[in-house]
Amino acid sequence: MSTAAPARPSPVRTAADPSAKRKRKIREILPLYLAISPFYLLFAVFGLFPIVFSIVLSFMDWDGMGEMTFVGLAQYQFLITDGRFWNAVANTFIIWFLSTIPMLFFAMVIAFLLHQNIRFTKFYRVAFFLPNVTSMVAMAIVFGSVFSDTFGLVNSAFTALGLDTVPWLSSPWGIKVTIAVMVIWRFTGYNAIIYLAGLQSIPTDLYDAAKVDGANLAQVFLRVTVPMMRPIILFTVITSTIGGLSLFTEPQVLLGDSGGAGEAGMTIVLYQYNQAFTQFDFGYGSAIAWALFLIAAVFAIINWRLVSGRGDDSRRRAAATKETRR
Amino acid sequence: MHAARGRRHPGGSPPPIRPSRRSLMLGAGLLPLTLAGCGSDPTISDDPDELVMWYWDRSASPELLEQATEQIPGTEKQLRADTIGTNFDTKLRTSLAGDAYIPDITYINSNNALYFTNENLFLDLGELGADAVKDDYYEWKWNLGMTPSGRFCFFPLDIGPTGYFFRQDVFEEAGLPSTPEEVSSAISTWEDWIALGVELKGGADSFLINDAQAVFESFLNSSPERYFDTDDNALYLQPDSAVRQAWDTAVAAVEAGVTARIPRDRATDQNAAWSSGRTAGQIGAAWWTQVLEETAPDTAGLWRLASQPVRAGNSGGSFAALPHTCKDPEAALAFIMWINSPENQAAAYRDVQLFPSTPGSFEELSYEGDFYGEQDPLEFFSSAAETVPESFISTYETMIGGSFSLEITNVETSGKDPEAAWDDAIAQSERVLIKRGVLS
Repeated sequence: MSTAAPARPSPVRTAADPSAKRKRKIREILPLYLAISPFYLLFAVFGLFPIVFSIVLSFMDWDGMGEMTFVGLAQYQFLITDGRFWNAVANTFIIWFLSTIPMLFFAMVIAFLLHQNIRFTKFYRVAFFLPNVTSMVAMAIVFGSVFSDTFGLVNSAFTALGLDTVPWLSSPWGIKVTIAVMVIWRFTGYNAIIYLAGLQSIPTDLYDAAKVDGANLAQVFLRVTVPMMRPIILFTVITSTIGGLSLFTEPQVLLGDSGGAGEAGMTIVLYQYNQAFTQFDFGYGSAIAWALFLIAAVFAIINWRLVSGRGDDSRRRAAATKETRR
Repeated sequence: MHAARGRRHPGGSPPPIRPSRRSLMLGAGLLPLTLAGCGSDPTISDDPDELVMWYWDRSASPELLEQATEQIPGTEKQLRADTIGTNFDTKLRTSLAGDAYIPDITYINSNNALYFTNENLFLDLGELGADAVKDDYYEWKWNLGMTPSGRFCFFPLDIGPTGYFFRQDVFEEAGLPSTPEEVSSAISTWEDWIALGVELKGGADSFLINDAQAVFESFLNSSPERYFDTDDNALYLQPDSAVRQAWDTAVAAVEAGVTARIPRDRATDQNAAWSSGRTAGQIGAAWWTQVLEETAPDTAGLWRLASQPVRAGNSGGSFAALPHTCKDPEAALAFIMWINSPENQAAAYRDVQLFPSTPGSFEELSYEGDFYGEQDPLEFFSSAAETVPESFISTYETMIGGSFSLEITNVETSGKDPEAAWDDAIAQSERVLIKRGVLS
């Protein structure tokens, strides 16, 4: 396509007439715009319009059915002093912290093991990825039974071992840990597959060199694998941050729309959903959405700074490595 | 590509006028609006003889709907019944807000109070002549369909009179009264009920009920007074209000240790507690008889029903309404009155276990089964329905009820001080009501 436009010789008539030339150019461009238009049309209807409309809504009081009333910044004023919102923010970050660190650690270990020359690697890859595509509603029932306070497997095991039972689903920390375990269970395999792809792109001569130098498995892992994987680790940290900030399905299916006892499992997105679709307070729901956007933007900036900083750093280091190897 | 271009512009004739890039982009941007604006007429059905109804699974007898699809009895119209899945309210609200694809008839769940503030979007069925059949229905249910301004917009479907379900075997084991009559007379007040719970716990290590929220709500559901009156006065703020009494009763139950401390969101645990006998009872509505039969089939024959303290309440039960755009209100009302006649409600009970809102239905109904031993739950709940008090559910109740449920659960599961929890619920309610413009 790109070769068509400039190289064609123009007839003398159009060369003398600049407006005709422009028209012909449009004729050439038109099919291109038409070809990409479906995305922009659908995005305009289902993406752009709702986004813009939610900004409008956040300055309104609307029950989703009757008249809208303009209330200025009242929704945001309420938000700043709303203890339930800040509780949701704190819950979201605690659950994110509790889930992301173990998840990425396990993912790295699994990927490292899968990368070894073991049998049935493909089977394991599929097996570890399966939780990611399992229905969360079904999983919530399973987790609800496993972590049940009085009848759960975990507490039965604790009792058998002579330990005290833990009120997993009715204490603030129990609820957060349970949700974090669900997140870990669901996304460890996914991240492991990404890490595995990263591991496979590390040149084998580095490992060979390490072996020649007499490094053991742990040293190889910590000194070769982890540094070379830094950009991929950062990528998974970013995706986990996005996922963590928008955590909704796990608490919703496990605990319902109200976030469980003491709202200990209420996350930001669940609170937004709760306000908009169970309380039918669309103005406030939109304000929560934009507050979440601001929080996410702050994290995006932090991540971006980290990535660009480290990126330069690792490139410099890679160059240095090459130099020394030569 | 080149060949096509050549064909379109034969040499000599001037090229046709083409839109500029800017107008093309503008056109692309406006296309969705054009589609929405004049693409097609936003009515839900083009057929003038077809009335469209929205309902959800098991809220109407499929057999009767089938009949109405052929022809709505007494009219020239046909029915098209669309099953609307989850998020029924959101979908109905969306169609009403967009003023497009609004059904001619819609079912609305027991949360019909949510629609009071927009009652002008629904037709007054009283004006259309619904009052002719008023005497066939339980009066309290009929009046729940009335908006605060006195318009009758919500026609009664089923009801949910409540009673105390209990495990007879566990009560016997604890050496307590265990026949329905004995238990009913032993728990005629909430204090007696809690006292019985203390004995139950001592005798059989079993709980009276699963959670404090159930106590709080059951109390309110059987109370003539709730959060607001029809003039939007906040009754719950007055000293010794029904809400405060319900709160105190729930707190007393928690402090006496007769609740199992399993909050409602943990349905799996609640079911396990009932099946195992760890919790020996529940204040439930008529529709809970089927729920229990399905969730705890192993306990068949062990359950009985006793009258709950003070008087029966109501929990759940739906309505039918006609949106303002209804194509043929007379025929639509004729359909609603037909499908909810005493005979047809009896048929609906047989088909999908909807508990009738017409006392006359029970003449033709009998309960088959022995899940409740010799006891007949139909007879129990139809007489309980006679004692349900008249009450008024306000739109604003739906905005603040959650604060009280949340705080009573905090008292129960995390040992929060009841007075602090009450104050928090009141403060949170006030904040929400001010934001929603109810209080100033």
